[in-house]
Amino acid sequence: MGDFPRIVEKLCEASKKEYANPYSAMEWPEALDPEGWFMSPELLSIYGMPEYDRLTEGEKKKLSFYETVNFFSLNIHGEKSLVEGLARQLYQKGNQELSPYLHHFLDEENKHMIYFGGFCTRYAGKIYRDRKMVFPRDYAPGEEGFLFFAKVLIFEEIVDLYNVKMSKDARLAPIARQINLSHHRDEMRHLVFGRNLVKELFQRYAAVWPPEVVQEVRRYLAGYISATWKEYYNPDVYKDAGLEDPYRLQERAFANPRAQAHRKKISEGCIRYFLENNILEEEPVL
Amino acid sequence: MKTELEIRKALRDWIVKTNGKIRPENLTDETPIIEQRIISSLQVMDLLLFLEQLTGKSVDVEKLKPGIFQNVNTLYENFFRKESYVY
Repeated sequence: MGDFPRIVEKLCEASKKEYANPYSAMEWPEALDPEGWFMSPELLSIYGMPEYDRLTEGEKKKLSFYETVNFFSLNIHGEKSLVEGLARQLYQKGNQELSPYLHHFLDEENKHMIYFGGFCTRYAGKIYRDRKMVFPRDYAPGEEGFLFFAKVLIFEEIVDLYNVKMSKDARLAPIARQINLSHHRDEMRHLVFGRNLVKELFQRYAAVWPPEVVQEVRRYLAGYISATWKEYYNPDVYKDAGLEDPYRLQERAFANPRAQAHRKKISEGCIRYFLENNILEEEPVL
Repeated sequence: MKTELEIRKALRDWIVKTNGKIRPENLTDETPIIEQRIISSLQVMDLLLFLEQLTGKSVDVEKLKPGIFQNVNTLYENFFRKESYVY
């Protein structure tokens, strides 16, 4: 396990220090200012497309509201399965050293869902549905646990860059900035944990997996990065924002070269980590 | 409004295009698309978007049952029959 137990201990200390009450940590306004931005315009999924440029300022702000509801909904769905998976890992054989931090991880993820869910249900009256599905299959020893933490890491790496950018964006409504900042503060620790654990698990198991399992794990993770991004382009959002032909717009937005360059830039650090640790052998197509 | 034959063809065409390797003549309405890994679980999200586009209805993902994505027959039966429960 190398330095990992020491890292876990440090992360536990940091989590105790940052411990927050989710019911008093946010200042929820009664209603949102319809003239406000909720997501940085440059992060909107259709930013730079003619369909975006044609919108009025008010329509762009409306889109930024629904894209925020989508971003927060994605976080809720991601964290729901994360909480399920973390609870399964708690006190499992071989995880004794991790378990003290898994308690913090679970606690913090639950708090995030309170923030994200609070925003979505208060101001939009809903959470966007999740279209991701997982089918049961057989796994090689250690493969399921490795894929679980690797998927969590991919999801959190992307989300965190959005959080950082939006927590600093003075154009955004204070509640949107506050939620992004609060999420980022905890995610910094989760990313340190995830980066160390995923590397450690891959080194431990890839050495004993047959080559076809390693190949399948690589193929799956490359596809997972792309599938994670696809959820940022949601036709339900376009429909709610009053945009025409939402399904075709979703296809055009995802295929747009500017959007592809954006995904590549945001995923750069995450992909570099997977390449440097030999978990991926080549850059995935985004 | 598309006929049943047109819908089944559209589904097969989508599967062939998404897989990129399978030849159209090797895909029937009975071919197990998930079991034979012609479509991966990650591509099911795209399939749902395509199905919504074809039907013009939003799928209630929480109502989806295992086996619904087995082959073109099950897709047709579950998403295009009038009494479908998935919306």
